Amino acid sequence: MNPFPIAWASLRRNRFTAILFIAIVALTVALGIAISAQERALRLGSARAADKFDLIVAAPGSHNDVLFSTVYLDPSAVPLLDPAITRLLLEDDQADFVAPIGFGDAIGDAPVVGTTAAFVEHLSGGLAEGRVFTALDEAVVGALSPHAVGDHLEVSHGHGGATGTDADAAADAIAAGAAVPGGDGDHPTITITGRMQPTGTPWDRAVVVPIEYNWSAHGLGTGHRPGDSHIGPPFDPDSLPGLPAVVVKPVDVSAAYGLRGAYRTPQSTAFFPAEVLVELYALLGDATAIMSALTLAAQALVVAAILAGIVAILDLQRRQFAVLRALGASRGFVFATVWVYVAALIVTGAIAGLLLGWGVAAIVSELLANQTGVAMRAEIGSSEFRLVGALVALGLVLASLPAVLIYRRPVVDGLR
Amino acid sequence: MPGLPLAASGLRLAFAGEGIIDLPELTLAPGTLTALAGPSGSGKSTLLYLLSGLLRPDAGSVTWAGQDLARLGESQRDRWRRRHAGFIFQNFHLIEELSPLDNVLVPVWFDHVSAKAARPRAIALLDQLEVPQRRAHVALLSRGEQQRVAIARALIGDPAVIFADEPTASLDAAAGQTVIAALRDLALHQGRTVLVATHDAALRAQAGTTVLLEHGRTRQSEATA
Repeated sequence: MNPFPIAWASLRRNRFTAILFIAIVALTVALGIAISAQERALRLGSARAADKFDLIVAAPGSHNDVLFSTVYLDPSAVPLLDPAITRLLLEDDQADFVAPIGFGDAIGDAPVVGTTAAFVEHLSGGLAEGRVFTALDEAVVGALSPHAVGDHLEVSHGHGGATGTDADAAADAIAAGAAVPGGDGDHPTITITGRMQPTGTPWDRAVVVPIEYNWSAHGLGTGHRPGDSHIGPPFDPDSLPGLPAVVVKPVDVSAAYGLRGAYRTPQSTAFFPAEVLVELYALLGDATAIMSALTLAAQALVVAAILAGIVAILDLQRRQFAVLRALGASRGFVFATVWVYVAALIVTGAIAGLLLGWGVAAIVSELLANQTGVAMRAEIGSSEFRLVGALVALGLVLASLPAVLIYRRPVVDGLR
Repeated sequence: MPGLPLAASGLRLAFAGEGIIDLPELTLAPGTLTALAGPSGSGKSTLLYLLSGLLRPDAGSVTWAGQDLARLGESQRDRWRRRHAGFIFQNFHLIEELSPLDNVLVPVWFDHVSAKAARPRAIALLDQLEVPQRRAHVALLSRGEQQRVAIARALIGDPAVIFADEPTASLDAAAGQTVIAALRDLALHQGRTVLVATHDAALRAQAGTTVLLEHGRTRQSEATA
């Protein structure tokens, strides 16, 4: 039995309808694939971005706000951590290093973030170029920053609400919604001394300065005794200002859980980025599940609508099938011909949709990565293949409906 | 393949609002060309469908060489046609998207046999019937050539019985003559049983027997040649 040439002839006879059907199936499948692949890219990208931020300690409040400010450099006004807690952390032998994080300035669109040289090394895994900062007016840039090593840059105060060095500055910046020139302190020109390796985080676009620059620019001292011009730890316990967040690298896993427990106090909170992300993903996952269900329902409807169209088209060809029966074709042969015809439309559409969906997700990921700085790559994984597989399986089963309808027709009706 | 004899008796079929077939007796011998004549609506085509097993009679028997089609199920009747019968239509009913050769091979695709083995035979049939372009689209052929492709298609399985429904009605006289000559050859020289529903006087003149139908009943059965 060879139903293929006749199915192929039917496809060619109605080639424009066939192309239209394939396009509709492809677009519907692409929608489902794009949502699924994009959601995973977002999840993996954001999780990878938070990898190097082992434990974050901040003032009690929203973990989400602190996480977004610190990891994704998406500024929001967060309460400041009591310097007494920072002091305790700096003395804690469970911590490998303790990196204060400070915001509030910008160079053009790029945020200026203050921290320690140790955290820069940890985040970047060694610099790609140059050396890390060793003086207050030196800085390193992220891998994607347009600035070159050796550039001298002017820093402006404020970053569309990015702040945290003090509550007033936060209020200022949020009210202004843009850069507030000057601020409370002095913003010396900085010199770029190095470039970090790509981190897949928004830090790739940032200019990273010593935390002392951040503090002194906002009139908060340097964290050291007057006259002490060295950069980084040890800090003077009595000169520390409040901080939006501190990143702590624990010495080992048990230390991580120990520190997380110890700094959950009325004055502070401590959390692993992963635990916050898991909650966000659960929300994202719920939304994705709903969207997936909707797209699956849309796909089923599209397949049903197409089957109805196919029945109409095949009805126009009922004479051909009657002739085949008169020539001796079994009902099985007619069934096989129609089934191959419908299956070809659905399988071609599904494969085209898989590729199209992957393309759309890749473009969206690229746009989103450009917008957020979080590196993401849309990939087609087993869940996308399962989605397409489910639709194809459904289509192949449903394809037998028109096939049965056609072969049940009395032959003589088609011949008259 | 030699033809099969037909013995039909007590054949009755009421067909949807159009009348009824009521045929006490009909016999056909191998090696004969029989014309089934009568005015439109007299039941020519319906009788053809009954005798080929496309329709099942309400009563009576359609016995081809001892095998009664009226007692067979649909798939058995399909198989009987596949093994023993060829069909030719007024409007050819070729598949326009396929080449003449592929059109001839269509019945071969129904079976679980390789179409490759049948190709030389299909080519020989097209040559015999003088169908020119073997590879061209069938729609590019003249109407007479298209009907000859349909005849080759009917012959690909070397059937004992040929059914033809108005095979010359949509052809001009010259093309009609070629088809009539081919049908005559199938019966008289190749020994097949050929039954043709027709109102073409030229075709009736070449048939050994004409069965004249009126309102589904035999009015007259006469030897014509």
